[in-house]
Amino acid sequence: MANMIVASSKTVIPSTSTPTSTGAGKPKLHLNLPNLSLPKLPNLTKPQILSLSSSTLKSLVAISATSLTLAPPSLAEEFEKAALFDFNLTLPIIAAEFLFLMFALDKIYYTPLGNFMDQRDAEIKEKLASVKDTSAEVKQLEEQAAAVMRAARAEISAALNQMKKETTVEVEQKLAEGRKKIEAELQEALAKLEKQKEDTIKALDSQIAALSEDIVKKVLPL
Amino acid sequence: MNVLSCSINTLKGLYDISGVEVGQHLYWQIGGFQVHAQVLITSWVVIAILLGSATIAVRNPQTIPTDGQNFFEYVLEFIRDVSKTQIGEEYGPWVPFIGTMFLFIFVSNWSGALLPWKIIQLPHGELAAPTNDINTTVALALLTSVAYFYAGLTKKGLGYFGKYIQPTPILLPINILEDFTKPLSLSFRLFGNILADELVVVVLVSLVPSVVPIPVMFLGLFTSGIQALIFATLAAAYIGESMEGHH
Repeated sequence: MANMIVASSKTVIPSTSTPTSTGAGKPKLHLNLPNLSLPKLPNLTKPQILSLSSSTLKSLVAISATSLTLAPPSLAEEFEKAALFDFNLTLPIIAAEFLFLMFALDKIYYTPLGNFMDQRDAEIKEKLASVKDTSAEVKQLEEQAAAVMRAARAEISAALNQMKKETTVEVEQKLAEGRKKIEAELQEALAKLEKQKEDTIKALDSQIAALSEDIVKKVLPL
Repeated sequence: MNVLSCSINTLKGLYDISGVEVGQHLYWQIGGFQVHAQVLITSWVVIAILLGSATIAVRNPQTIPTDGQNFFEYVLEFIRDVSKTQIGEEYGPWVPFIGTMFLFIFVSNWSGALLPWKIIQLPHGELAAPTNDINTTVALALLTSVAYFYAGLTKKGLGYFGKYIQPTPILLPINILEDFTKPLSLSFRLFGNILADELVVVVLVSLVPSVVPIPVMFLGLFTSGIQALIFATLAAAYIGESMEGHH
């Protein structure tokens, strides 16, 4: 290959430089060419056209297209080591392989996965559409929710009131009980006090009689 | 001239040093015909990679896609998008063709850059991207030509050939020429890009073995992807062009 690239570039260079170079340059070119020591120089005109074809006019492209079909066999025979444009049975085999790959991938990849994706798309769209239609339902549900909330609030307030009443009654009852108990205890205590008072007065009375006798005895000497 | 021959000599020396093997093939003989064995081997690997990964990823599709399925769905959407943009509403039947074109070229190109083919020694030539060989690119380009002729003929019947004299009959030669330039440009564009990319990497690696070739390698990956996309897009565009009505 290295040979071929070098060779083609060498032949290209003179051909492009001939219009600009002076007459003195031409003999030099011919002197240089033998130095290249390329055995198959005449055959190189074909690759030269090929390498030029990409950058030249369409007419040249057409020529190369026709020469493409003719050139490779000779190239393959003479350049066994460097055959870039070597057309052979590989071409139809690759084409067949490509077709096989196309059908196989279609069977295991494009069609199944494509269908799957389309189905999923359709499902999602359906669901979206059904969701859009439910705004009325949502309103109804909201109203229901509000009603439920109101009922719950009323129930709770009623329950609260009742509970308050019950607790106040209970508290009052307990208060009354407590008062009664305290009053009874007070009464009892007062009664006890009265009794003690009477007792002490009785005791004092008896002591007074004794004391007065003592005082009389002491005052009236015998 | 001296400078030129000098530079050519140094160039030749560089090629000798780098030991680039381009245009060398491992030949197999099949029924009296020769084939490029290295191209066939790498293409089988590429096909195996494609079929294997697709089978594993799509085997059991989930409504909420997992990693592999997600990736393949993304690729399929991308292919459908390319086909739809170029062909129009009737893109459906052409998705397999465009998609396989894109995937085969893309995986081939990247396999040339990413898979360590060089580990496997061949008696002659070396393994590289299948798109590195003119046979592959021409095969794909010719299939594209057949595809757009088929598309046009099935859509419009023999009226398809009316497009050759469409704006004016004067353009007939150019319109006919287009049928030759289309596959030619398709095949040579892909072939040249991939071959040049691999060559540049190989030569650079042989000259400077470290760091320097890395940006070129990344550029090569980028180019490979772009070339696959260009090939698929142009194939779709040609098919779409031959199917659309000419006003």
